[in-house]
Amino acid sequence: MLTAKQIIETLRTRFDKQILGAEEKVSNQVFVRVVPDALIPVICFLNQCFSPRFLINAGTDVVQQDGKYVVSYIFSFDSEKIFLCIQVGLDSADPDIESITPIIAGANWSERETRDLVGISAKNHPDPRRLILADDWPEGVYPLRKDFPYDYRPPSEPQNKVPLKKPPEGTKVIPIGPFYPVLEEPAYFKLFVDGETIVDCDYRGFYSHRGIEKYGDSKLTYNQICFIAERICGICGFIHSTCYCEAVERAAGIEVPLRARYIRTIMLELERIHSHLLWLGIAAHIIGFDTLLMQSWRIREPVMWLCEKISGNRKTYGMNLIGGVRRDIPAEIHDEIVRVIEKIERETVEVIDAVVGDTSLHARLKNVGILKEAVARSICTVGPTVRGSGISIDSRVDHPYAAYKFVDFEVAVETGCDIWARTLVRLKETIEAVKIIKRCLLEMPDGPIMGEVMEEIPSGREAICCVEAPRGEAIHYVLTGQDNRPYRWRVRAPTYANLQCVPYIIKGERIADVPIIIGSLDPCYSCTERMAVVDVKTGQQKIYTKEEIIKR
Amino acid sequence: MFSILEKCFKKSIWVYHTNASACNGCDIEIINALTPFYDAERFGIKLVGSPRHADALLVTGAVSRQVCPRLKTLYKSVPEPKLVFAIGSCATGGGIWFDSYNLVGGVDKVIPVNFYIPGCPPRPEAILFGVAVALGLVDKKVVAEYLKEKGFPELVHERPVAESLWAK
Amino acid sequence: MFISKLKQALICLKAGRVTLAYPYKPSPPPEGFRGKVKVDIDKCIGCAGCANVCPPGAIEVTDFDEGWRRIQFHLTRCISCGRCEEVCPEEAVKLTDEFELSTNTKEDLTVTIEVYMDTCQRCTRCFKPKHPLDKMMVTGFRQ
Repeated sequence: MLTAKQIIETLRTRFDKQILGAEEKVSNQVFVRVVPDALIPVICFLNQCFSPRFLINAGTDVVQQDGKYVVSYIFSFDSEKIFLCIQVGLDSADPDIESITPIIAGANWSERETRDLVGISAKNHPDPRRLILADDWPEGVYPLRKDFPYDYRPPSEPQNKVPLKKPPEGTKVIPIGPFYPVLEEPAYFKLFVDGETIVDCDYRGFYSHRGIEKYGDSKLTYNQICFIAERICGICGFIHSTCYCEAVERAAGIEVPLRARYIRTIMLELERIHSHLLWLGIAAHIIGFDTLLMQSWRIREPVMWLCEKISGNRKTYGMNLIGGVRRDIPAEIHDEIVRVIEKIERETVEVIDAVVGDTSLHARLKNVGILKEAVARSICTVGPTVRGSGISIDSRVDHPYAAYKFVDFEVAVETGCDIWARTLVRLKETIEAVKIIKRCLLEMPDGPIMGEVMEEIPSGREAICCVEAPRGEAIHYVLTGQDNRPYRWRVRAPTYANLQCVPYIIKGERIADVPIIIGSLDPCYSCTERMAVVDVKTGQQKIYTKEEIIKR
Repeated sequence: MFSILEKCFKKSIWVYHTNASACNGCDIEIINALTPFYDAERFGIKLVGSPRHADALLVTGAVSRQVCPRLKTLYKSVPEPKLVFAIGSCATGGGIWFDSYNLVGGVDKVIPVNFYIPGCPPRPEAILFGVAVALGLVDKKVVAEYLKEKGFPELVHERPVAESLWAK
Repeated sequence: MFISKLKQALICLKAGRVTLAYPYKPSPPPEGFRGKVKVDIDKCIGCAGCANVCPPGAIEVTDFDEGWRRIQFHLTRCISCGRCEEVCPEEAVKLTDEFELSTNTKEDLTVTIEVYMDTCQRCTRCFKPKHPLDKMMVTGFRQ
């Protein structure tokens, strides 16, 4: 089995002078600094010999200290449980770097984001359009640079509107968005259709960009960021807060007591149960099966009451702080937790039993939205989306955090590659979560719930943490700084990686299947229910309602 | 204002929900208000698919720069008489990101708001309570609280010493 | 296919009617719920530790040169995280279980307290409570 030291040795022997430094700063996390010209050769070499999985890249502005911009590319060796971070220092006068997207297709959005927010352009990028910032944001103003104050709002420049792709010959355009009737996050999909089949699509998203990473750098202290991290996503908030706290604890070397780890594991699994049942209801609503929406949300409600009792709020539990948790789970509540989750397990099994033989659901969900294994690997998708295509990646096993290394459980994997497979993966995970919670409650040791943080957290330390959210893995990278706040905090939510595969799984499908395909990725809700069809030739418009789409 | 609302909205109101860059927490609580335990549909409230069919607009999230013009268009497309509810701390006052570079900071800076329902996220009961207050079924409960230490000289000239350290 | 539909119908019938009778009957939250902020004016010493820790910056502190410090909790921005309650040295700030906070005016959503303090002779900012011994009579001597 490959170890961190062997990786460092191999790179040093192969690249010698071009490696400026390589060390294992935190256990199983290797940070390697290379010269800019060596970036592409190193990545090609890694792909050939080890084929690690690309996670994210992060651009940091250290101009005031070293006169450079540093870009960190983070990779994961899943079976060896190692993180590898390749860091490149760029001169502040000319911060341009070779794009790695031609080699790793999953780096497409990361490089566009680094260009938008830090100003580091990737040369030879296949699609160098603006991704994150608003249409009227001026060019040349980069929010994540240190000389940009977090609350400065630059004047509007409407001519920077992002150009979307032109429709191919003979196709019509169907715009979806940005506001949908059934929930959610505003996003804009532009579908190019030929008759009923989809030929291509384009996406303009990031309507919800709130400047979270800038808040982490400049305004908030370590303990305050735990609360903002929880509000990155309303459904999987505790995941982000745990991931951030673990990253800081690893960087600073703070020991978290064992009881606190078990409490975090229990809350994480409770969140997984409620999120999967929520998804089941929403997916059923999209295909028009409202009975399942009402029943699965009825089953889910006791979990929310239970979390309210434990933590004080139905979601955004606010239980994490650096070093441990704020509230305990006393022994009096244990029986109630077990009673509630056993009832949920019984009712979920009943629902699975009733739904698994339903041929009308099979007709809608089987062989629809197929994500082939090779495509999934090249775009680096994560979570149940990829576990439904036969690839077994799960951060709880690959990079254990909280108390997961003490708990045995099965990773749910299906090989169908379609929406039905992803549904089965999520339902199996719900049942496994119940087992994990019961195990944790039995084995939870007594002791303190908050570790001692005796001195100020030293600056200049970095660490990565990866947590399995219900949608996939969430990654946080923290570089500690002075004045009781991080210098750089990089967040990657799972939907970021999954949405990039939409053009591939939509091609060749019918218009009526688009809502459920996007919904099967669980993009913190899908909601493409209302569409306007514009006939390019005659200029007539017809609005389809949900019922009409379903009838088609 | 209340009397017009009482006449127009005696029966059920139809709502259109929109998310103006929120984290989705408040949105789930709104959907929760329609599920069997809280069941807003027994009051005749239902979610509609088009703003042109709606009587009320439920807005969540502190409005981002990209969403701002679209929210204004959405507001114009809801026919009169209309109600606007700002749900959650982000919509009421900007929440935890009131001064971020990409956000406007609160729905009432973009469109006029009739009712505020704070909370992070507000319980489904709180959302139902807010709609009931708007319909005139119950009275609102919260009032501004003002407490002062007794037995000391009164504050005559309000001259702040330094600028308030925590900006509004 | 029909058997699946029958099973689904059975699940619905078994569940029956589960709707809570809110708002006709109260639905109190469990103990430990984090709702609206409440301040005990007798215990507050005006240290503004709560304002220092508040993540959304919802607590506004203004010093007046006559010795008054006004601390305003803006509930429009409050996320009910409970850090102010945790950090308060005198246990003056508490989070109650009130959650029915909807209103049509934002001015209803504030809690203002004014504390009389001693001021610094050089910069005139408030820095310590007027009569620390009086405060101790309220909270009691701590072991």
